Amino acid sequence: MAFSSLYEEKCPFTRDYNLIKGELKNIDDYDKTCIETALHGVNQMVLSEWGNNTACQIILVTDGSTGVGPMSLKESLATANQRSAKIPFPVPFSFPAKLHIICLTTASDPCFIKSKPLYQRLIDMTGYDGTISVQDTFSNEASVTSMFQKLAEEIYSTFKGTLKCGNLESKIILSPAPVPYTKVTDFDSQTYNLWDVLDVCGFVSVGDVGSPMAISRHLILPATSSSNKTEHVVKNEVDITDDDVMDDSKTPSFCVLLHGALRVENMAALVTVGENWFGFIYSWADSKKKSNLMLTILSPGSDAVPWLGDLNYLGSSDSFSSDQVGSFPVRPTEKRSYSQNGVVWIRQAGLQSDIQKILRHARKLPEKTQQFYKELNRLRKAAISLGFLDLLNGLAYIFEQECMQLPGTAHPDCALQLQHAADVLRKTQNRDIKYVIIPLQTNYTSS
Amino acid sequence: MAFSMHTKLYPANHKTVFVLDHTPYFGISCESPIEFEFLKARTPGFIPMTPISKSLWTSSVESAIEYCRIVWDLFPQGKLVRFIASDTVAHILNTWNQTQQNLTHVMNGMSLIGVPPPPPPLRSVNTPLDYTVLHGLRAAIEALSEVTDIQQEKIQSGVDGQKILNRGRVICITSARDNDSMKRLEDIFLSVLTQQNKVSSTESYRLLTIDHCHLVIINTFPINIESQVNNHPPKNLSPILTTEVHSIKAPQIPNKLSSLILDHYDLASTTVTGIPMKEEQNASSSANYDVEIFHASSAHTAILKGNASDSAAIRTIKEGLEYETTTLKWCTPRGVTGTELQNCTATFRITPVDVNSRPSLCLINFLLNGRAVMLEMPRKSGGKITSHLLAAHGGEIFIHTLCTARSVLEDPPSISEGCGGRVTDYRITDFGLLIKQNTLLPIKNKNPEDGVLPIQKIKTRLNRLTRYWPLTISSTLIFNLKQYFDPLPSLITKDRISDDEVFQCKKVIYNLISLESKMEPLHPLNTGLRVKGQKREEQYKAMWNELEMLLKNNLHSENHRSVYTCLLECHKFDFEDDKIAEKVELDEALNQLDNIGPGKPEPGDQQRASVIRATTDSPMSPPPLTTTAPPSSRAAPRSAPGGIYSTQRTLFDIFAQAQNNVKPKMEFVGRLNSEGNVAKLYPNLKGDDRGPREQMEVE
Repeated sequence: MAFSSLYEEKCPFTRDYNLIKGELKNIDDYDKTCIETALHGVNQMVLSEWGNNTACQIILVTDGSTGVGPMSLKESLATANQRSAKIPFPVPFSFPAKLHIICLTTASDPCFIKSKPLYQRLIDMTGYDGTISVQDTFSNEASVTSMFQKLAEEIYSTFKGTLKCGNLESKIILSPAPVPYTKVTDFDSQTYNLWDVLDVCGFVSVGDVGSPMAISRHLILPATSSSNKTEHVVKNEVDITDDDVMDDSKTPSFCVLLHGALRVENMAALVTVGENWFGFIYSWADSKKKSNLMLTILSPGSDAVPWLGDLNYLGSSDSFSSDQVGSFPVRPTEKRSYSQNGVVWIRQAGLQSDIQKILRHARKLPEKTQQFYKELNRLRKAAISLGFLDLLNGLAYIFEQECMQLPGTAHPDCALQLQHAADVLRKTQNRDIKYVIIPLQTNYTSS
Repeated sequence: MAFSMHTKLYPANHKTVFVLDHTPYFGISCESPIEFEFLKARTPGFIPMTPISKSLWTSSVESAIEYCRIVWDLFPQGKLVRFIASDTVAHILNTWNQTQQNLTHVMNGMSLIGVPPPPPPLRSVNTPLDYTVLHGLRAAIEALSEVTDIQQEKIQSGVDGQKILNRGRVICITSARDNDSMKRLEDIFLSVLTQQNKVSSTESYRLLTIDHCHLVIINTFPINIESQVNNHPPKNLSPILTTEVHSIKAPQIPNKLSSLILDHYDLASTTVTGIPMKEEQNASSSANYDVEIFHASSAHTAILKGNASDSAAIRTIKEGLEYETTTLKWCTPRGVTGTELQNCTATFRITPVDVNSRPSLCLINFLLNGRAVMLEMPRKSGGKITSHLLAAHGGEIFIHTLCTARSVLEDPPSISEGCGGRVTDYRITDFGLLIKQNTLLPIKNKNPEDGVLPIQKIKTRLNRLTRYWPLTISSTLIFNLKQYFDPLPSLITKDRISDDEVFQCKKVIYNLISLESKMEPLHPLNTGLRVKGQKREEQYKAMWNELEMLLKNNLHSENHRSVYTCLLECHKFDFEDDKIAEKVELDEALNQLDNIGPGKPEPGDQQRASVIRATTDSPMSPPPLTTTAPPSSRAAPRSAPGGIYSTQRTLFDIFAQAQNNVKPKMEFVGRLNSEGNVAKLYPNLKGDDRGPREQMEVE
């Protein structure tokens, strides 16, 4: 992407080297340096292509100048806190990103000396440790090349680690390499780093895991590990297989076993990936039916998945008495409003349907006596809490009207209970939520 | 409003105080009568009822309660709301304590306060009581300076006495005469706030200074009145106070709060459209309905920021409201969902905006019953994309944002293409069993006596269970011979085994000894997978070696040791036997160190073994892999009569020998009659000597 006061996407994300090379020859000079504009563009470009949880590297190539006047980096940073929620300052980016700034100038350039703290502030704002590269001596092409090479080596390091399950283990590579994660919650901002050992804690059925939020996903590839294998044999295995020299694909790997078993059982393995940080390993197949072992890294903290409860308090049912062992999903102690049958009368329809429900029961008295009074008391209690006393009188009136409209075939209880309810509703001394309207005892009730 | 790092770390929405005007004025009607459709269709004789209308008080209470309902549905913890009603004094309805942060508590408090008091008589002789919302505002400021549990925790755990920022919000529903009195209200609020901070700084052991307060004033009035108070957008009255005023008719308060809540908690609205639902009156036909839900705005980051033209197409401003909603289409679920892990980049709780409407209830019940719904978003470029998943977990409904973007894992290799990918005999079924035995469940006791977290316990357990665990079928024998070994492998890996279980383990060992003595071949369960070099003695030898390995790796307690000793005792016997036989050679001595020293087989066995071998093994059979001693050392025994197939001393050898000691075994007649101690098989096939045949029986 090229930028000035506007930005221009020169070519899409590609591995086509020649395409990139071709485009780089067609970059023109424009008006001024507006780094913020470029960063907005980067945000847009990455979000539309990769979404908001793919880790990216952003390399800003510039001459060490931060621009002048409005839209200069200095001005941008000074006003960063005054943006609207609709168009916030582009940094931190909407995705995990390291910003690397390459300045094609020398470290002693006064312009660079002035810019450096601004660059550093920008990098700090990303929340990840980016870099600023500059040359010590006057640049020639070779030194620029080496600067980029150094950066490339730094960026494209693979994650090598070990996948462990008790005494079983396998060397692995994670692709893409995971990055440290900074979690910001109310009153807390903490950066979490990954361990290089993924330690299996146990297993949960995929249905129970239920697609939790993942901050990133990584392919687990078994690594070539002849040294590990021999160590393994020495440790605890009687080798009764041929001792032929075998290629890696024929050396048993715990990864492959784990993958096979997880797939057959439709289970996922809970692993610790860092301090109080968890992930799930499971078998995953893309559309091409190529099955693979996948690691989903959860948001740091043992409370990452509400319906699994505290992940530190998961255990095997064998190790605890049965009254201590719960089941998935873990339910919150309190019900949410939508499962509480609460009263909301903000829209008239809500109140109307509550009243209609009572009237429907009223017409089916005495069979529905219980339901009638239950709904009546619910409405009455809510009306008292909301200070909506007119409603009680109104309802009493509606009941009396209902009595008069009753068909001749109606059960005598109908009229009696309706009149009873209306009388109680009108009594002001009963306007206490603890009071419960109880059905009138009638001679007909038992019949 | 800007969301800087500070506002994110120390959000104003951690503490919210609702100040509700409970002065006599709020007892008046909104003048917005409620229509009862069902009363209209009555007979002419029907006397129309007096119109019912909510009071200003009822309107403000229900709006504030609705605000809380949404907050507490979406954030069960950490977002605290307090209620204060104000008339002649401030009525504080709840504290910051989590147990008082629920609708039931607040509603009960409201019922105790009751409706606003009647206006004082105009010509009251007594000094008029001071009815004002200021009492409440003052109490609200005091409330904001109180420390919440979370703040307390953070202050105590804070490093280097790092100060936390105490920010809060006051939402006041009141009614002012004009802009001047509103301005006075704001000014008084600021001076009280400043005053309170002075008090707090002197009593810092129990009070926090308020670093910033956001005062939202909702000026309300009945619908038939024109207000003299103008709206004003947020303005900074001081570095520690931002105020805004919204002047609205009472029935509009809920809508106003709905749009404010989105800002206050960084929420977004989604309208699920095209929900097929049966008609209430006519069950045979169905129509499509919409349900609006609220959730954290980040659920939409990816789709809204991604493609501008796509996102513009799904964002609309709802009629009569001030905020945007994102419309996504209901996608009728096919088959069972939730059985695979979706690539989900975010999950947030949701709550329906209109919680009691039929369409909302319908969607909610559908989800609470365990079904999941995919939401689709249309693409400008044609087609559509599944962008979200709605699903309930443990009685709570969540929106899952699915990854709609390009994946960096394009065309990944299959696991079978990598290391170990060509191995076909992994013990998948056995590992599946291990998985089932180590399925995690929530543990209720949050205070384990031993201080060890359950997750640590199960790691220890996994460690124990995998002390000896061959990966492939061909690298193990005993795990393929389950019918002989069960329940030993599952018992021996327990951390404690009872005496009874020790007995069971020993029984397995004894049983194997007896099987060997009967020369029963061991039949692996996985038929078709022929374990190489399976001459019977070698099979037994491999089995014993592997069993020894298993037991040696599982010495978790005295009882475990006793099982191992049971096995070793036999080996000890083995060494002595060797010494008696004076056949100890250097390599054998080395083998003894491994407790697998070869011994001189009992003659009868050699005989029988060779017979069997001749009939079952082809001459091309590879040598046994478990033979640990170099072949050269075997030269001597091999040259001995019948010693070619001599094996290591096994339990059976010992067992058999012990039996011989009791009752000497009758020599095989065939051998007695043979030359060079080699019996001819089935001599009767060739010759006519039928005599010995009658005695050819196995003891």
